[in-house]
Amino acid sequence: MKHFFRDIKKYFSYAVYSAKAELKAEVSSSYLNWMWWILEPLCFMFIYMFIYSVVFQSKQEYLSLFIFIGLTVWTFFNKCITVSVKLVQNNSAIVSKVYLPKFILIVEKMLVSGFKMFVSLALIFVMMPFFGVKFSFSILLIIPLLLLFFLVTFGICTWMMHFGVFVEDLSYIVNIGLRLLFYVTGVFYPIASKVPSPFNMILLKGNPIAYIIDELRNAILYNIPMDYKFFGIWTVLSFLIIYIGIKMIYKYENSYVKVI
Amino acid sequence: MENAITVDKLYINYKYADKRSLTNALKFWKKDKDDKSFSAVKGISFSVQKGEILGVIGKNGSGKSTLLRAIAGIFSPDKGSIDLHGNSVSLLSIGVGFQKQMTGRENIFLSGLLLGFSEKQINEKIDEIIEFAELGDFINRPVKTYSSGMHSKLAFSITAILETDIILIDEVLSVGDARFKKKSFEKMKELILDSNRTVIIVSHSIETLKQLCDKVMWLHDGEIKMQGAPSEVLPVYEAFMT
Repeated sequence: MKHFFRDIKKYFSYAVYSAKAELKAEVSSSYLNWMWWILEPLCFMFIYMFIYSVVFQSKQEYLSLFIFIGLTVWTFFNKCITVSVKLVQNNSAIVSKVYLPKFILIVEKMLVSGFKMFVSLALIFVMMPFFGVKFSFSILLIIPLLLLFFLVTFGICTWMMHFGVFVEDLSYIVNIGLRLLFYVTGVFYPIASKVPSPFNMILLKGNPIAYIIDELRNAILYNIPMDYKFFGIWTVLSFLIIYIGIKMIYKYENSYVKVI
Repeated sequence: MENAITVDKLYINYKYADKRSLTNALKFWKKDKDDKSFSAVKGISFSVQKGEILGVIGKNGSGKSTLLRAIAGIFSPDKGSIDLHGNSVSLLSIGVGFQKQMTGRENIFLSGLLLGFSEKQINEKIDEIIEFAELGDFINRPVKTYSSGMHSKLAFSITAILETDIILIDEVLSVGDARFKKKSFEKMKELILDSNRTVIIVSHSIETLKQLCDKVMWLHDGEIKMQGAPSEVLPVYEAFMT
């Protein structure tokens, strides 16, 4: 673990520089460039608003923001997991020429997606007054919640990256798994009221992403206090996942090059 | 003289069919008997002194490149050890890892950061690198637009100008057009002749090794067949290959 922190320190500037360059390259290669970071989540928001309120005829206070928060979190998670599976293969040019701790590749991708997520979050704050959401101090809870969210995502990504190297068709399984997770995470509907009990509580507390989305909505929109017990449980679990993932990567990372 | 590189009983294995589809992965848990592996490097021990230039020669598939990659830290040894005594190391081979969609300038920074330099150190050297690489305006365009010659010129310039204590060279002496080749050969000589720098060169060119090296090591099927002064080893090798 000491090794881990030393490597983070040593290679963090690489990850930051690389993430910046990647964002820049992305911007310069599309027509509406950075506008997409705002347009894309907004368009998805309208799609799910349509499904929820027109197709399913349901109502929810602050529906647009409710969905937007869910999408912001989900997009980040989905993107990070999907890239992680093929991360080593896609960077084979670098990985086979110079040593770098492989988890740095994940950090770099998380910085890229993280930046876009912050654009989304800023948009939420801009929209809040429009929809008449009252600001309250509970909004500060998004800081610990987002930290937990990054830990969980990083942990799962380390596992995905590691097994993605050795199991060739993992990406199919991950895609199916992510689709399932998307629907049970309650990105565009409230789990608590739409899923019959006791399944709603299982879905809400047993899935860290659903838990985080739910608490973020409570903090930002509804001013409902947080469930600290599950916050603690998920923090401990995510550290455990990261610990095992990092151990695995360090143990096997040098043989990655031989496989790809 | 102190040693810069010490390699002790080094083994490196490759595994066949290591990349598994899910069905294979399931079979693997049932116990995979076809798990063949093959050793590219078989129990090599040698040391290189600080400032020494070691040439490595051998036919294709004799484990030369594998050995260099292991010294660069890209592979870990399956058995045995490699000790660099705290020296920084870079592997100079045709085409350092570039991010294709990023510009040449950004890639200089990325490569430099990966080699363990700070952004400030790279900033001091960047003009020299760009000038040496002779890419002109292309330096601000994505690397994917480069020709293969430009690609290797940039790769060479980065590693040649950001100097590490140990330089590993894998057949790089044939970079770019005739003029750049001459220039890079001069630069290489200048780098190599620096008495603080330790160099390992892998090459098929007997002429190059004769000119540059203090010592030559002949690898054959992952084992050291012969090592010693170029004047001893190279004639025997030449006779063996013909």
